[in-house]
Amino acid sequence: MSQFALFGNPNTGKTSLFNNLTGSYEYVGNWSGVTVEKKVGKLRNQNGLLIDLPGVYSLNPLSRDEEVVTEFLLTEEFEKILNIVDASQLKRNLQLTIQLIEFGKSLLVGLNMIDVAKTRGMRIDEKKLENLLGVSIVPIIARSGKGCDLLSKELIANPKKEMQTPVFHVDYGFLEKAIEQIITILPNDSNLNRRWMAVQFLEGNKRVKTYLDQHFAHTDKLDQMKRETEEELVKLGLAPSIRQYIYNVRDQKVTSILDQVTTVTSLNKTTATEFIDRIVTNKFLGLPIFLAFMYVMFMLTFDWLGTPLADLLDAFFSGPLSEGLAKGLAAIGASSFIKDLVLDGIVAGVGGVLVFVPQIFIMFFFISFLEDSGYMARVAMVMDRIMESIGLNGKAFIPMIIGFGCNVPGVMAARTIEQPKERLLTILLTPLMSCSARLPVYALFVGAFFVKYQALVVLSLYVLGIVVAMIVARVFSFLLLKGEKSVFVIELPPYRVPQALTLWRSTWEKGKGFIRKAGTFIFGGSVFIWLLTYAGPHGLNVKMDDSFLAMIGGVLAPIFQPLGFGTWQAGASLLTGFLAKEVVVATMNIIYQVPNAVSLQGVLSTHYSALSALSFMAFVLLYVPCLATVATIRKETASKKWTYISIIYALIIAYIISILIYQIGGLFF
Amino acid sequence: MNLTDLKQGTKAIVSDISKINDLVQQRLIDMGLVEGVEVCLKRTMPFGGPVMVEVCGQCLSLRRREASCIGVR
Repeated sequence: MSQFALFGNPNTGKTSLFNNLTGSYEYVGNWSGVTVEKKVGKLRNQNGLLIDLPGVYSLNPLSRDEEVVTEFLLTEEFEKILNIVDASQLKRNLQLTIQLIEFGKSLLVGLNMIDVAKTRGMRIDEKKLENLLGVSIVPIIARSGKGCDLLSKELIANPKKEMQTPVFHVDYGFLEKAIEQIITILPNDSNLNRRWMAVQFLEGNKRVKTYLDQHFAHTDKLDQMKRETEEELVKLGLAPSIRQYIYNVRDQKVTSILDQVTTVTSLNKTTATEFIDRIVTNKFLGLPIFLAFMYVMFMLTFDWLGTPLADLLDAFFSGPLSEGLAKGLAAIGASSFIKDLVLDGIVAGVGGVLVFVPQIFIMFFFISFLEDSGYMARVAMVMDRIMESIGLNGKAFIPMIIGFGCNVPGVMAARTIEQPKERLLTILLTPLMSCSARLPVYALFVGAFFVKYQALVVLSLYVLGIVVAMIVARVFSFLLLKGEKSVFVIELPPYRVPQALTLWRSTWEKGKGFIRKAGTFIFGGSVFIWLLTYAGPHGLNVKMDDSFLAMIGGVLAPIFQPLGFGTWQAGASLLTGFLAKEVVVATMNIIYQVPNAVSLQGVLSTHYSALSALSFMAFVLLYVPCLATVATIRKETASKKWTYISIIYALIIAYIISILIYQIGGLFF
Repeated sequence: MNLTDLKQGTKAIVSDISKINDLVQQRLIDMGLVEGVEVCLKRTMPFGGPVMVEVCGQCLSLRRREASCIGVR
């Protein structure tokens, strides 16, 4: 099947276009670096695969996610490049287009946001641009899908056609001699365009350099040539560096093209974006507005909307569903073992977790809104000063907010951070962000112990996570970030009203992982845990306190005694919580053998006090990243050492914080 | 004069970006903040926080330390 690759600057509507062309449910966001991994989708009604790559400004990578793009060009097979270009930011976008044309594969340009360009008083002669660049151009509006059909047809038309004599050529003047020399040195055996390689090498593309080092013996000679060329360039006063020189040459070329194809009629000034920015990035209001947004999010998730919905679901699971299943099982004459397994194991375990679906979806909805509206980049800016004081930058706050939804994409989102040590630190901190899987645990306990202050208590747990993260960051950055300067530059995209469909898809995309987890992990976990409660050293169908699970949990119980929850039940549920944190709730439902959340809360109030409940929640928040997060940390850091550190430091901190809460709190209550 | 000397809401032409940290410089070039373009200081965040500037019709944010290395006229 033909493969096509989608390239473009950040915030150009790349992922929207991807969704339109492939019809797959894809993650869309409106801040630099939402696409942190290569994603593949099947083209609608067509035979072909479209690969979505992270947004880049140039092919010369500065961060890990940008490296993915250059890596892709160097190593993967594909038919054609689809380059999405923001018509309202042509000057900057064409810098990338030039590099892609130089790569030499056939290329199709999707000229996006022609409507935005028009409102800014800019008209673009597409035909002329097509002729000047020597590539096909299709004007589109990715958000509404206008022009996407044509683009799709154009994409699969003559996929084999390579660019014949390219119309477009940039003359690098002074550098041409060096480029020619490098081309003659480079071997002719790879499929890669040698002129492109030479230009990228001179520009200082680290990934291309690595590639040459691996595939080619005489890189010393190349390095020397580059050095000499640069010295001469500086001596002649052409530019301060080769990189800057190349940029200038391309910029001149782009400017001359734009002079020919664009006509600017009127400049429409104060935009909505400017107006909103005046308020949300206000000197004094910026931070309070962000906190207010978070507060509304928590109130809606817990008090106003989420909890009533969860209660309805709970009533359904414990009432009609359980009764129906019990009747059904009786009707088919199931054995009591099967009946217990289904009702006490699966329904209690899986159902106990699924009742929290409304809360989790509301949370994901808000996070999607943050990403899609363009506010996220502003949050990074507003938070930068605080982040700087702990040795990080504002961009590190974005993985943390995403981590509120799920730590796994949060850890991956850290790829957009340029400095390697800052990135490592952000990866280590993100698991401290209270993810949606911890929500069921809080919801259960606050419902039992803090009925009046549900949202407030949960919010304080989120804040606890952030505060601990900041302290840990301060300590780690002191130990770790010596000699590496923290930097912060971020693009602030225009605000866009998120489209209902995109918002829903984005929410669903995140939320469906939770539901899938309920069907797999938690289902399996529930069966396993129930079996451990069903069996014991003295046979089957034993009393709960004589079961294997009680034995295992009993070993841990004394350790948790000083924290206020030294019961085997707590030990067992925390142990199983490593699989996924919501399994803590599933386990409790099974252990305490209760039909629904309300009665579980009743039982819990006899085993915990308000204080030990708080201590328990804090422990669940901090104690260890879940299995999936650990696997992601391992993949992203490529280091066993840091993976272990991420687990161990979290355990130690959780223990200390919980003991402090319980012991100090005990002095007052 | 440098970028942070500008009054909020005023414009100037970038004259020198060579003094900034290499990484930041590359990012700024990517985003079109290069010598010779018009830049507008939109806003500064409190307590020495980052600044927000507009260049070529788009906004970006960078730290005050780096902004003070950008020469303007």
